[in-house]
Amino acid sequence: MDNHAALYEQGKQRLEYLRQFAPRQKVSLQQKMEESGITRRDFMKWTGAVSAMLALPLPFSTLVAEAAEIADRVPLIWLHMAECTGCSESLIRTDTPNLDTLIFDHISLEYHETLMAAAGWQAEENLENALETYKGRYLLAVEGAVPTANNGAYLTVGCKGHTGLHTITAAAENAAAIISVGTCAAFGGVQAAAPNPTGAKGVQEVIDKPVINLGGCPPSEKNIVGTLMYFIMFGKLPALDIFNRPKWAYGARVHDNCERRGRFDAGEFVETFGDQGAKDGYCLYKVGCKGPYTYNNCPTERFNAHTSWPVLAGHGCMGCSEPNFWDDMADFEKPLGRQLFHGIDATADTIGAVVLGATAVGIGAHAVASLFAKPLED
Amino acid sequence: MEHEATHKRQLIFTPAIRIFHWLRALSILALVITGFYISWPFLVAPESSDVLVQGWIRFAHVVFGFVLTAITLVRFYLFFFSRNDIERRSFKDVMSVKSWITQLKSYVWMGHLNKAGIYGPLQFVTYVAISFVALLICITGLVLYANVYHEGLGGMLWDSSAWIMMQMGGLANVRIIHHYLTWAFIIFAVIHVYMAVWSGIRFKHNSVDSIVSGYDYHKDH
Ligand code: SF4
Repeated sequence: MDNHAALYEQGKQRLEYLRQFAPRQKVSLQQKMEESGITRRDFMKWTGAVSAMLALPLPFSTLVAEAAEIADRVPLIWLHMAECTGCSESLIRTDTPNLDTLIFDHISLEYHETLMAAAGWQAEENLENALETYKGRYLLAVEGAVPTANNGAYLTVGCKGHTGLHTITAAAENAAAIISVGTCAAFGGVQAAAPNPTGAKGVQEVIDKPVINLGGCPPSEKNIVGTLMYFIMFGKLPALDIFNRPKWAYGARVHDNCERRGRFDAGEFVETFGDQGAKDGYCLYKVGCKGPYTYNNCPTERFNAHTSWPVLAGHGCMGCSEPNFWDDMADFEKPLGRQLFHGIDATADTIGAVVLGATAVGIGAHAVASLFAKPLED
Repeated sequence: MEHEATHKRQLIFTPAIRIFHWLRALSILALVITGFYISWPFLVAPESSDVLVQGWIRFAHVVFGFVLTAITLVRFYLFFFSRNDIERRSFKDVMSVKSWITQLKSYVWMGHLNKAGIYGPLQFVTYVAISFVALLICITGLVLYANVYHEGLGGMLWDSSAWIMMQMGGLANVRIIHHYLTWAFIIFAVIHVYMAVWSGIRFKHNSVDSIVSGYDYHKDH
């Protein structure tokens, strides 16, 4: 509890420090909530849920509430590298704005290529201004992998013709913290899959500062907003796992918390999509679920305002929050033991059986020849 | 009535070596079968979900996995520190080109198999290789174990297993390496059994029963 008391103190000081800055939004969070029909009670429930999700005890919910209200004091710069913008979509595309999307709106978003109105020279100027004005204070979120081959020329953006590599290096320089949002920014993602012609890499490989990796294609809005809230509250990185993913979100395997886990242990498996087992909610392991190798909180947090997640919808997890998932987790509808070797299109078991057959033939030949060989003289 | 002994009797395998050999054979057999089930659950679903088919098979896999791990460690120790140096003596043969030629020729029906220790050089190198494969499959197995069972031993192994997992490029890779290595054991076992039977018949030395009784019966020469 001492640890928590110290952390709470730290949070209080951090929020005190943030209060000295002018709010960047004209409308307060309170007003925004009223407009969207979100009650104070909903808000308090949300703060409790966020504290629990961040593995903090309930008293921290007051900190969460305060942090949410003054979120517009923390400048956020959001860069897009080589990617599909799916991570931003995961966050902003909801039919009913919930608190997560509202908070994202409320954070003082200084630069976000998808959401900003500016274009061309003006956009470039906005970015440069933001980097200069909030030097050492801004939170940098990156979406997408960084192409490095050919000096990064495969990603050249804007009127000044800067490469992604150039932009990210410049922006990372004075960032207070860097968050790689999504598997591409974290580990390279699909762009970095073999043969990777553009030399795409995760952000942590091209800059030499600590990066928080939010794996997932996309990560859930909960994981993005939770990480932002943690930074606003404490101004530091949360506890991270070996791949630098926050432990509160990536501390357990999908398989560990999956609602079909009982079926797995009982040996009840879907054999083909649409069979009786599939209708009965059997485990999807044999049709390729990679939940056993994937660390993420999808079964508990789900997506789209807690509506559903892949396994609930009837398709196995494809391991999208793990490094190198596009290559390592293929084929997505077969278990790993049936993975095909590239080039020969055979599984390890087929190759093993062929080698075993060849061994048997060799042994047979040797045995037959032994019958005719000259016996050893004693 | 006195009988003139026609054969000599010599103890070649200590009881420890024999016991570990058979325990290891048993655990490898059990691990291969249960392992293939875990990789592709081939048994039909039980009538009731109170019967944890996968759970029990995984349990057996874990138990035999620990048996194999323990034996692998003990056998590495015994190889170096056993009072009986019959295994270590083979090292001389491995270093001698002549011994290699003698052994390879003897396998194609030319001449005797003379060796300083209990193993020929090719045999020795194969055993060393399979011992290291065993070490690797035990390590990957423990990494997988720590990712499933988080308390006790799994918890103690957590940090090192996370590090190994990162070196191997993620949990999926660890699992797939674990799977590939299985085949080394299957192919090894087939060749091993054939060679043991064959050399017993051909050289009238170290036949299959010596790994049971420990003794080698052979004529003087
Ligand atoms: S559906 Fe996937 S995550 Fe769920 S129990 Fe089966 S293998 Fe595990």
